[in-house]
Amino acid sequence: MKKWIIIWAALFITVLTFGLASAQNEPIIIKVGMPTVLSGPAAPWGQVGMDPYHAWIDLFNKEGFKVGGKTYNFKLITVDDKNTPEGGAAAAKQLIYSDGCKFLAGHWTWNFPSVATVANQAKVILLTRTGNEAVPGGVYDPKKFPYVVFANDSMGQYIADHLAIVEAYPKYKKIGILDCVIGKGPAADITVAALNKAGIRFVQEWFPFGTQDLTPYITRFKEAGCDIVYIAGWVGETMAFAKQRWEMGFKDMKVGHSGPFVSVDMYLAVSGKDAAQGLIGQYWTSWEFKKTKVNPKYIKMCKEVQEIVSKKQGKPFNYTGWVGWLPNHLLILSQAMQKAGTVDDTDAIMKVIRGGTFDTTIGKWTMSGAKTYGSPIVFGCPAALSVIKGDKEVYLSEHPTKPLP
Amino acid sequence: MPPAGIWIDGLIQSCAYMTMAFGMVLVFSILGILNWTHGQFYMLGAFVVYYAITAVGIPFPLGLLAAGVLVAGLSILVKKIIIDHITGDLYVGVATMGLIFFFEGAASMIFGMQDKGLARVLPGVVDLGSFSVSYQKIAVVSFTLVIMIILFIMLNFTRIGLAIRATAQQPDAASLYGVSVERLSLTVMGIGCGLAAMAGGIIAPLYTINPFIGGIPMIMSLLAIVIGGLGSLTGAIVGGLILGFLNSVVAYHLSYLSEVVLFMLVVIILLVRPQGLFGASVK
Repeated sequence: MKKWIIIWAALFITVLTFGLASAQNEPIIIKVGMPTVLSGPAAPWGQVGMDPYHAWIDLFNKEGFKVGGKTYNFKLITVDDKNTPEGGAAAAKQLIYSDGCKFLAGHWTWNFPSVATVANQAKVILLTRTGNEAVPGGVYDPKKFPYVVFANDSMGQYIADHLAIVEAYPKYKKIGILDCVIGKGPAADITVAALNKAGIRFVQEWFPFGTQDLTPYITRFKEAGCDIVYIAGWVGETMAFAKQRWEMGFKDMKVGHSGPFVSVDMYLAVSGKDAAQGLIGQYWTSWEFKKTKVNPKYIKMCKEVQEIVSKKQGKPFNYTGWVGWLPNHLLILSQAMQKAGTVDDTDAIMKVIRGGTFDTTIGKWTMSGAKTYGSPIVFGCPAALSVIKGDKEVYLSEHPTKPLP
Repeated sequence: MPPAGIWIDGLIQSCAYMTMAFGMVLVFSILGILNWTHGQFYMLGAFVVYYAITAVGIPFPLGLLAAGVLVAGLSILVKKIIIDHITGDLYVGVATMGLIFFFEGAASMIFGMQDKGLARVLPGVVDLGSFSVSYQKIAVVSFTLVIMIILFIMLNFTRIGLAIRATAQQPDAASLYGVSVERLSLTVMGIGCGLAAMAGGIIAPLYTINPFIGGIPMIMSLLAIVIGGLGSLTGAIVGGLILGFLNSVVAYHLSYLSEVVLFMLVVIILLVRPQGLFGASVK
């Protein structure tokens, strides 16, 4: 009997020891919430990133990241923010209070103020982008929103895009800058000041929301002597502009927009194959960057994601806009946690983010320690551009924003 | 003086607004309701033409016809299933507003939200020296002319046209003379919404196609019939013409302030002539 008790006890201790050991090796999950637009007119922009984001996180989690000897994995939870202030607040509340997310990342839509308010009240770090609503004179206030990280310098990128255009077309006459009136505000003023400072020749026009007929604006640009027109992120309007300027006979007028091409086929179908040639868009294909050095490990991961998503969707997946967003945010976050030695102390994590240097999917950049666009923590960007050539997009030029000290 | 391209552009916009506004007024004249879903029938028309060409492979004119017929049928179903069961103009109006979201949501699910285009339909331009006009724009003008002639003949020289005009003026009297107002209202709903669908279809190759393209044309058509006079078919045509040209010419001169000017104009017209330029009766 005694013999059996000893055997049972030995077995019990063995199982318990292995069980505890394996439990200790089991990665701890950190929930990251992403309020993004999954319905309404802007939904294609939110939906196109879903597959690559999840595939990238799966790859990232194979290794995970270590803090204090423990291994951590990210789990992404997305909620539709409907691209509205109410939707943004509701999504942020659900992610933080119902889903238990400790961090919000990958956010890029227009509802920054409402998402940031909810996140800051809950002391949750929000990794988002700079934008019209976040610059000086806008709603962003470092004291009011101490847990906001501008992990995408979209303002800086938009300005740098123009410099990249000039580098690609040094003999340009004048750039026409076109935006919707809802983009009017401090960000536009900063852009104008920056372009003036850089000595770029340009004229600016605004169109009312919902405009599909851009003939009056094309005519005005033509009369102003513009040979390049760069449109602020309005995809449908850009496609219509390209088509309409072609039909008006202004075939030499180059057209582009901030934001990557979601699908080249879409531009060919809407603008027409001839009119779409030479269309300029932002480029996040990091393995083709010429001026920005990207860690080969991340390039390999991103290429693998492209293959995984292509296989899943049953057709070539060429969109690379996702490379610069959520993976970039999560790498900043994980590296900041490692440097801070904590995954819970948001103040300690924020402290290392300010002025910290991070190696990400779009290069190695230093967060600004000084105030830039009202934020003490703005990340750099490659500001690479591509053009449509045939039925593909190819590298055009690049003007990386300087790492901000 | 704006260049010729701006006037041509204004004419194109006028054509779309005229066709839509005409259909909207037709429905209003007989059913007595403002159909807020008109813009969504415009959107559905664009999608029918898109899939008729890209998926089924039928020619563009047949695609347009299919858009008109299919959406007309759908609108008749909407009337039978929803509108007929709701009492009161206000509640019918609210119901059709609700349908905006239904159709946009359904279209998003069925067709997806990514922009689609028909640039390959009637490609090419006619070079006129200092400016050029695309075949697609010429098709819009030609189509609108044909539609307006057909509608003119139908309203003035056919029994159904007589019945529509009679019912619009005196529904009770028309009924006493043997006009089935119920059947006529179904027919008018079909024609009115079919026109919106064909307007969406003919414009489809010019712009982008997505589930949300109906909003602005709906607002502009509403403005057109307010300028022309609610209930006036002539007013819808004139209102559409004015609005299209104004939109283009004012945008050329004043850029984004064009909308402010347009809405101010509507306010001024309503202050001076509350019944619109052509009153409220069917001409």
